[in-house]
Amino acid sequence: MQLADLPSRRNEAWKWSDLRAAMAGQETVLVGTAPIDDEGPISALTQAMGDAYGPSSLVIEAPGDTFETRITEGDAGQYGSVCVKSGATATLIERINVSGSRLRPFILSWSRIAVEPGATLRRIIVQENAVPAGDADPAIVLNEAVVTLGEGATFQQFVLAEGARLTRFETSLTIEGEGAAVELDGVYLAAAKRHADLTSRITHGAPGAHVRQLVRGVARKGGRGVFQGKFLVGRAGQKTDAEMVHNALLLDEGAEVFAKPELEIYADDVACAHGNTAGQLDENAVFYLRQRGLPEAEARAMITRAFLLEAVPGWMGAEIHDAIEARIDAWLEARP
Amino acid sequence: MLELKNLHARVVPEDGPAREIIKGLSLSAPAGEVHAIMGPNGSGKSTLSYVLAGKHGYEVTEGSATFDGEDLLALEPEARAAKGLFLSFQYPMEIAGVPVMTFVRAAMNAQRKARGEAEVSAPEFLKLSKAAAAKLRIDPEMLKRPLNVGFSGGEKKRIEIYQMLMLEPRFMILDETDSGLDIDALKVVADGVNALRDPKRGMLVITHYQRLLDHIKPDRVHILSAGRIVKSGGPELALELEKTGYDQVLKGA
Repeated sequence: MQLADLPSRRNEAWKWSDLRAAMAGQETVLVGTAPIDDEGPISALTQAMGDAYGPSSLVIEAPGDTFETRITEGDAGQYGSVCVKSGATATLIERINVSGSRLRPFILSWSRIAVEPGATLRRIIVQENAVPAGDADPAIVLNEAVVTLGEGATFQQFVLAEGARLTRFETSLTIEGEGAAVELDGVYLAAAKRHADLTSRITHGAPGAHVRQLVRGVARKGGRGVFQGKFLVGRAGQKTDAEMVHNALLLDEGAEVFAKPELEIYADDVACAHGNTAGQLDENAVFYLRQRGLPEAEARAMITRAFLLEAVPGWMGAEIHDAIEARIDAWLEARP
Repeated sequence: MLELKNLHARVVPEDGPAREIIKGLSLSAPAGEVHAIMGPNGSGKSTLSYVLAGKHGYEVTEGSATFDGEDLLALEPEARAAKGLFLSFQYPMEIAGVPVMTFVRAAMNAQRKARGEAEVSAPEFLKLSKAAAAKLRIDPEMLKRPLNVGFSGGEKKRIEIYQMLMLEPRFMILDETDSGLDIDALKVVADGVNALRDPKRGMLVITHYQRLLDHIKPDRVHILSAGRIVKSGGPELALELEKTGYDQVLKGA
């Protein structure tokens, strides 16, 4: 694989997240790596950064297990598979910490996930960025999961993305069995010089799925948020009930948010909807809070915080929920 | 307490030309008195309340507004609030995701901090909140819900007065507080307002109709028309208006 093989803004799926441009100057890491195959560029790059231990494979049979991974710059790519067997329930927590290190500033994960009939998987990705607000970092964070869901399977996912030079969280779900339940939520916080991309695609190959997606994000001057979501409902996807919502707040002039919500439906008996907004804080609401005595910055933070927290689901449990809340508060306090 | 002298103000919309709405308004509302401002639609009632509270997009071009002798117009909205100015909004905003009590406690502490006072303790706050809710017959569960989200018009007005009782302002501006209230709710709300009447507090009651003034008895009544006070009098002026209508009273002014 060479730099020219990587997707750039000329590729529709990467038009707002130019991976080739972000990798320019780092070509040496690509020397001698395998070409990009059907699994795509994130898989190829992750394997290229892999270590001697090779891919990991996790099979979950017992109920109630929690598995946690932690990855930062300089670590080997995480390439592997997860299978949640029928009837099992598991929680996967992927912690991604950007430190700002210039040595191998790549944090890469690619996983193939199977949620068997009747199984439940909760996946939580917490991507933090320790670099002070306003400072640039060289990190490229790419994380992709290719997920299949069996009959009556449940998949719940939440992503917190604090961004980096380039971060992309991509989820491709295929619903293979009837009556699957999916929740795909996320929050991105794009400060100056940060890029956060949440991309997802759900292919409905079986009837009766219930899907709820809510992504909320904020961007400041010089920050970029990207949301791409697609529901593809084939003829087999009758009685699908799916809703996709993305709302963004542009907190300053010069903040950028790009969004592409897509519905492609071939079944005739479905309820699919999407809503997409990008706007500024309601100044009338800010004034209302200030009239009650809240200083302007506090008023803005209070409204923004509440806006973001609506996309932080309750199923994660109090401990992680509180930790996410604390990250959001810290982000709102740290003006670049 | 509140002194307005030859106040001129204009609304500056983000898109469109500025319009002068307040055109030379003078008013003196001393502590201990309730002043009513009545006027037909478009006379500048709400504009006046926004100008006094410091809303963006409302620009004073001439004249002065002082609060206890201090230039009110030089202060940020939150500083005016900390000085004790409270505006009960005609259309209170819905604030998603922020429970009523969380918000009021944050506001109370922000005001106290600005005044150099200690924060309210949790037990003290709960005690105050319970008393205020009982006075206004507000279901305590409602105070855990996001501020004004999905509340009826009447519920929003009650919550405005709840906030007022909690924050104990020194000067209150009630902007069309009666709109959206049925007669029972009106009485409950008026009782809440009256509970705050005292010799150290002032009040401006802005209303289109006389009926609120049956419950909140004014000391003075002013008629606002085309951005100016055209007539002032005692409570009897409001009754006269009710009987004859604005046209008749304005003709005589």
